Amino acid sequence: MPMIRSHVPLSLVVGQDRRNASDGDIARALSAGETWAAAETWRRFAPMVLTLARRTLGSHSEAEDIAQEVFHRVYRKAKNLREPDSFRSFIYTCALRVLQTELHRKKMRSWLSFAPPELLDCQVSSTLDVESRDLLREFYRLLEQLAPRDRIVFILRRVEAMTVEEIAAATESSQSTVKRSLTRASILLSRGMDDKPRLADGVRWGR
Amino acid sequence: MKMTTGEPTDSPALTKATDLCRDHLGPPTMTELDRGLDVFLTRIAPTKRWRTRIRWSVASTTVALCTLAVLLVASVSWKRWSAKAPTLSYRIDGGSVLDGGYLRESGHAGMNLVFNEGSRLALTAGTRGRLQIVDRDCVHVAIERGKGSFQIAHKNNRRWLVDVGPFLVTVTGTVFTASWNPLSEEFDLMLREGSVVVRGPVSAGEIALRAGQRLVANLAKVETVITEEIPEQASTEPPPAPPAPAAPPVTPPGLQASPSVPSPTPAAPTAAQMAGDRQWSRKLARGQWDAILQDAKRIGVEATLGQASSEDLFALANAARYRHRLDLARSALLAERRRFPESRRALEATYLLGRVEESQEVGTAQAIAWYDEYLTRAPSGPLVGEALGRKMTLTDKLEGAARARTLAEEYLRRFPKGNYAGSARELLAP
Repeated sequence: MPMIRSHVPLSLVVGQDRRNASDGDIARALSAGETWAAAETWRRFAPMVLTLARRTLGSHSEAEDIAQEVFHRVYRKAKNLREPDSFRSFIYTCALRVLQTELHRKKMRSWLSFAPPELLDCQVSSTLDVESRDLLREFYRLLEQLAPRDRIVFILRRVEAMTVEEIAAATESSQSTVKRSLTRASILLSRGMDDKPRLADGVRWGR
Repeated sequence: MKMTTGEPTDSPALTKATDLCRDHLGPPTMTELDRGLDVFLTRIAPTKRWRTRIRWSVASTTVALCTLAVLLVASVSWKRWSAKAPTLSYRIDGGSVLDGGYLRESGHAGMNLVFNEGSRLALTAGTRGRLQIVDRDCVHVAIERGKGSFQIAHKNNRRWLVDVGPFLVTVTGTVFTASWNPLSEEFDLMLREGSVVVRGPVSAGEIALRAGQRLVANLAKVETVITEEIPEQASTEPPPAPPAPAAPPVTPPGLQASPSVPSPTPAAPTAAQMAGDRQWSRKLARGQWDAILQDAKRIGVEATLGQASSEDLFALANAARYRHRLDLARSALLAERRRFPESRRALEATYLLGRVEESQEVGTAQAIAWYDEYLTRAPSGPLVGEALGRKMTLTDKLEGAARARTLAEEYLRRFPKGNYAGSARELLAP
């Protein structure tokens, strides 16, 4: 049987580069169910969420779980997104909510459990010297004593370097509330750190 | 250390800790990001969504199917029920229906009611009747005076009830004629086909009649007679027992030392018969009174009275009463009282002894004494109304209306709609 060949020349079609898409485009694509949008959402916003979660919780593995939960929620709620152009702040707010829920859950677990909570996971501590590791472990031990909201506000202000206005917007609360949370957290943490002379020595040595 | 006006100052150690946190807990590596992306994409993969969707759709379908099945069953049941019990309608020849269901004769030839299901009712001239209920489930007819012939097509499980004077006839598919004469207080029911159950003031319980039997109850004479009217039916029954020797008169309670027992023809009772498993109550309900009397004769009346169960004794007493074997009825009732003094049947026997004595011309005083005992022993018993009514009637007969008025007042106070309310009002009328 003779083979039929087409003589029409083929043309190469280059796909659109999704990395240039705006946050709004990604949100709209995600809402439309386009397959590339989910991966692009992760690539673009996962570093932000993972970093925030790691710093808040002091744990890489817990941060990964939080990130998965955050992006799964975003994926489910994308169809109802009212302002696609504010996709980043939507994800950030979602991450803060998930974090706050997780912190509440951890507090409940600590009341019900006899074992002390893991303050700093090995992935973090393995890269630090002894003094820094002790200092960070004490820092997270003191953070455990804070209310979830105070803990998040302190991390956002002192570690993430966000302004009070930005924090108030992200946490959907007033600026004065943020300031009160920050004051409570700062006083409790400073007092707790100063009570450890060896840590203070370490700080001096480190300087 | 970052400070803003109005914000608290962190301690140096805390500042060092936050710096460490920022420096060592930084952004993820590309490897970490790719690993997280794989997990994320797997989590939102369509297969998973489809699995969830399928699970939900299966659950929804199951619920929908269950609901559909319930609706279907309900619909079929409703249709079957509707088909089973079609609407009943009737036609009246020779009369009409007034308010309240009263039947009015238009001429002097009686009335005929023809129901669409095939039942027929013929009322003789001058009969006063009433259609109390005619609906899908039940027909309730009343004959207040006169005679009615019934041919009931028992269909669709419809209940047929006939009030004939103070008697209630429950029809179970049959042809019969029933009449009530309020002047002579006589109830007459002739059953040609099928069976009926009669309840009324002359019996303590139900009287079941079968085809060929006739029940005549005369309240004035305190007489209840059941006869076999169809020869072939009678031939199947055992021959009637010979009349028992006359028992000595029974003295009312308190005056009599020991009841007398007639001496029947002795017969050797079998073990099963002696065990009391005679099922006479069932035979009584079927109207097989002659069979009961025949059994008692075969076993031996004395042995029966001494060893039969409470229920069998009671059935024997009633069978004897229905057959006008008053001596045997009295003996059975006295045996019931003597052997089972604390039973419910013993109380009923006390009342029935009154009825038995009342049936004899010379037994009025003794009957009153039995009714008195019943009223004393069971002041709120089921037969109090009957006992009080009979006592009132007998007192009027024996001692005059003046003595009976007190009883009439008591009767009306306790049973204003009772069977004897009319007689009580007559006694109290000026």
